[in-house]
Amino acid sequence: MKVPLHLAKEKEAQAIGFPPVAEAEHQMRLLAEIDDYRKSARSLMVMLETCTKCGACAEACHSYLGTQDFNNIPAARADLFRKIYKRYFTFTGKNLSRFIGAEDFDAETIGKWVTYFYQCNECRRCAVFCPFGIDTAEITIAARHILTRLGVMPRFMAGIAANMAKTGNNMGIPKPAILDSAEFMEDEMREETGLEIKITVDKPGSDILYIPSSADFFSNIDTMIGAAKMFHALEVNWTIPSTVLEAANFGLLFNLDVMKEQNERLREAAASLGAKLVIQGECGHGWRAAKMYTEGATGPAPFELVHVLEYAYQHLPKFKLNKLPWRVTLHDPCNYARAGDIIEQPRAIIKACVTDFVEMTPNRERNYCCGGGSGLLMDEMMEIRMQLGKKKAEQVKELGHLDYLASPCSICKAQLPHVMKHYGMGDLKMGGVMDLLGKALVWD
Amino acid sequence: MADYIEAKGQKIEIDEDGFLVNPDDWNEEVVKIFAKVEEVEDLGEDHWKVINYLRDYYKQFGIAPMVRKLCKDTGFSLKQIYDMFPSGPAKGACKLAGLPKPTGCV
Repeated sequence: MKVPLHLAKEKEAQAIGFPPVAEAEHQMRLLAEIDDYRKSARSLMVMLETCTKCGACAEACHSYLGTQDFNNIPAARADLFRKIYKRYFTFTGKNLSRFIGAEDFDAETIGKWVTYFYQCNECRRCAVFCPFGIDTAEITIAARHILTRLGVMPRFMAGIAANMAKTGNNMGIPKPAILDSAEFMEDEMREETGLEIKITVDKPGSDILYIPSSADFFSNIDTMIGAAKMFHALEVNWTIPSTVLEAANFGLLFNLDVMKEQNERLREAAASLGAKLVIQGECGHGWRAAKMYTEGATGPAPFELVHVLEYAYQHLPKFKLNKLPWRVTLHDPCNYARAGDIIEQPRAIIKACVTDFVEMTPNRERNYCCGGGSGLLMDEMMEIRMQLGKKKAEQVKELGHLDYLASPCSICKAQLPHVMKHYGMGDLKMGGVMDLLGKALVWD
Repeated sequence: MADYIEAKGQKIEIDEDGFLVNPDDWNEEVVKIFAKVEEVEDLGEDHWKVINYLRDYYKQFGIAPMVRKLCKDTGFSLKQIYDMFPSGPAKGACKLAGLPKPTGCV
């Protein structure tokens, strides 16, 4: 099977609980998994049965526009699933398959699914333009979940799931390293402000649990520093749980069983530290996974859940800010603008922090994905990733000179520097929105 | 389908990204081989300062340090690190130091 990414090897798939199914059994297992999935997701069946192939999605999809590959048209991508569904689960498909576009499972099916469901960024832009509201992301989520159940998944995802199981975070950062990094960031803030701004870890009796992205403890340090400064300015009692140093939840992106485990970790961390308010850091899909599925996965949650940008927005009038003399634009992470209701808050925060905020076009719920969405950050996919990022690069280029591109999501933060460099904008500074708040805050 | 490099007469396993599968297999010969792959030129004292720092940190904490901490503790700016290791601290530098590839949103 030739696919554009590295698949997990047998022992890697096995290590996270998905031993590969023998190829001879692929068809049987795939159909059994589809049957199982459709019982709990009628929305999937509606989406599989209502597409009229009107073509509205083609021009809406940056994946198709960037790659010009027919199978990356959302309706065509979904058809890879739809044809199998029709063939084996509908009356006409079982009896008259060749007349209704149904297709037999064959030796190519699994390879095609891997190839094209891992070129969908699950950005949901097609759903905004589809007259029926068909959301290809839902079909992609189902396909990837089912593939994983067969033991077929990117090596990248399997590695992250192994780290999540071991440490509760994607990067696999153990607690001593978390403490060391927190101390380093405290030193940095002391040098800059002269203040004792704390980043406490696992402090019992905390009112607020802050869930950063683990990348904030590696490359996106200013996002973490921005949040710490904000909490210091508000004088609140907060901590970070070492067991869930991760706003992301890659389970949503390749297997829903894995997603539930991370939802459960979040719940346990809040319970053990006594927090009543959980604040999710800058992470797009993780916000969707936490907001939309925590209670579905684990039952009623004994805490309130908000996003750090909602929280910062709520408290904006309380901050003493000195505007940075920068021209800044905002890249709307797909899962905020099309799946998580975080649209105006980052704009209000940025406008309070810089002198010149400029919108890219289109924006908000019509914004294009960075091209890394749904965890397509594999090095071996770099060429495709650059094609997926083409629309974004064009949007940014149209704005002329910029001092900063704000993209409050760790996947975007990992993808965009490659995209900007590839399309000749390698000097552009990038980072989160909390980074700006941290830099604009002034102290008495 | 395992890949190997040959260093000091021994076959050493690497993964699909070209990183060592087992960090204990690391030796100076490995660094020289990886330097070619990662387009590191004139491997010298400064490179070794970064490599040794990464290895020491990894030994103590089981993970690569924060990028800014690496810069601060070695005294190199991020730009200097990129000049030395064109594929960056997470890829080039960690690979030469024999660390596993930093994964997640990086």
